[in-house]
Amino acid sequence: MYQIKESSSELVTQHYLGMTYESRPMYYLKVSQPSNKAKKIIWMDCGIHAREWISPAFCQSFMKENYKTDPKIKSFLQNLDIYILPVRNIDGYIYSWTTERLWKKSRSALVNGTCFGTDLNCNFNGSWGSNSLTFCGTGPESEPETKAVARFIEKRKSDVLYFLTIHSYGQYILTLYGYKTDLASNHQDLVRQRNHAPCQCKGLRLHELCFLSFSNVQVEAAEKAEVTLKEKHGTNFTVGPTSLVLYKNSSSLRDWAHMIGIPFFYTFELRDKGAYGFILLPDQIQPTCDETTTAVMTIIEYVNQKYFPNSAVAVTSGSLWLWLIVLFTRTLS
Amino acid sequence: MQRRSAARLGPLLLLLLLPVAWGAGPEPPRADGELQVSSRLAGQAARVALHYLNYRLGSPSALRALGQVRKATVKTIPGIGHKYYLQFTTEDYKSSQNVGTCLATVLYLKRKPRPAVNINCTYTKDQKQTREDDYSFYKKLRQQTKPITGNDIPDSYGHIEPALEPAWALAVAGSSYLMWEKSTENLGYFMAQVKNVKQWITKDDSIDFDYLVILHEIPTQEMISCHLRVIWTPGHPLKVKYFCLSENQQSESEEGSGTESGSTNGIFNEEEANF
Repeated sequence: MYQIKESSSELVTQHYLGMTYESRPMYYLKVSQPSNKAKKIIWMDCGIHAREWISPAFCQSFMKENYKTDPKIKSFLQNLDIYILPVRNIDGYIYSWTTERLWKKSRSALVNGTCFGTDLNCNFNGSWGSNSLTFCGTGPESEPETKAVARFIEKRKSDVLYFLTIHSYGQYILTLYGYKTDLASNHQDLVRQRNHAPCQCKGLRLHELCFLSFSNVQVEAAEKAEVTLKEKHGTNFTVGPTSLVLYKNSSSLRDWAHMIGIPFFYTFELRDKGAYGFILLPDQIQPTCDETTTAVMTIIEYVNQKYFPNSAVAVTSGSLWLWLIVLFTRTLS
Repeated sequence: MQRRSAARLGPLLLLLLLPVAWGAGPEPPRADGELQVSSRLAGQAARVALHYLNYRLGSPSALRALGQVRKATVKTIPGIGHKYYLQFTTEDYKSSQNVGTCLATVLYLKRKPRPAVNINCTYTKDQKQTREDDYSFYKKLRQQTKPITGNDIPDSYGHIEPALEPAWALAVAGSSYLMWEKSTENLGYFMAQVKNVKQWITKDDSIDFDYLVILHEIPTQEMISCHLRVIWTPGHPLKVKYFCLSENQQSESEEGSGTESGSTNGIFNEEEANF
């Protein structure tokens, strides 16, 4: 991290986020084009579950991008800042290197040191306690790692556009919502989402339309990403809402993100599909990082174009959606 | 004593809580019909069918993994269970290359512990080649004067020593039997790692391995340790015995959490496949 910071010091800065349970400092990188313009935020974190080694590997790889020279990156850096936390669960990650390769949780000591670790994904303040399949802490945000991330994001929630959390394995791009046709077939889900939708088209009786357009954009971006990802090395990823594709223990983070109103929330599950699982073959590391970077960039570009249309606005059949989304942005800020 | 009874109660409670735990996620379909190909239950059922296939073929060179589900439907058979009808592509376990398509049915029975599978596949790899590969695995293993032993395969960094490849592949084949038996409509498995392997040198023609494997259970994300005994003669059905431990050391004597089916509780399961 230090090297990257040094080599691109005008764009990349390193910041302290908080401390882990075992008192290790957590640092994140901020990639930001200096300007007078107020930017929206992309947050990306990796290494939540200790054994998913490809996740921190990806964040490391992503941090090495050519922010100064790549024209696509330069273009969205005009509107967006990128924050990267390469390992959220530092204690657990180190433990998986030194002691137990398939460890998942953090290393907080419980029950007088006879039991260790909280699953950092369900420790957030969103439907906390509804997950009975894993240990989610003694209370919402009981773990310092969770508190550090939650405090940071909540302080900036009106600016956080895009929250990306990286896991393995399974080869999925998981969205918060599904397409409107899917939503219609799952009425309960739609009602729940409608009640909590971060979409506030004030003064317009277009609440549902606004919400649906926004959720469609989220899915469309993911589907575009799936295509560009596949073009890289032929890898097949599945796109869909978590509730359909994969019931994973991440509902607390997801619900929290939903509650505080983060418009674009994605969970990536990287290679592979289970043949080697958490212990991915070494020759797959670089291709996985490459294809995932492509996918993430695709989503960022897509969202950037939708949210920050250039002066030459494309007049397409989607201009109604565009208008709604711009309106939404204004009501958010 | 109290802890013991709590340990007994724990699995039972977990079993009762299962429907509640999955309240926010997909439950076994109440309505019959076509499933989305990306749905978890479709993928789960396809994998169960492949576990069964990998076990029955008993060929370490021809192990298959799930590619993509092309079509999936489910039917409720009242009083019996849920039957899945699937069409999916398959990949070579090691190279991830497409090796054909399968049609399968998977019947999750309410009363019996393991799913009933019917599966038919095309296979694009050269079958003569895989038979030869199996035979050269076999020869290498038979020629051992010193029994093969090993730990952590693959190692933490994903490396598998070439000398241990055949043993690892046989572990996948043997684990397939175990994973087929343990799978339910909601619980699926992958073999995460071979923790330990020990070869028994036999006087007959068979290859005999003792393993400790670690299974990854989804969606619980638990890691389950199982002892596995695999006896292999190429061209014959695999003979597999297994015994799984719960992750929670305190309930070791209970033979796993309440999410496991009754057939793995503290007894050796021996199955001679009927040909």
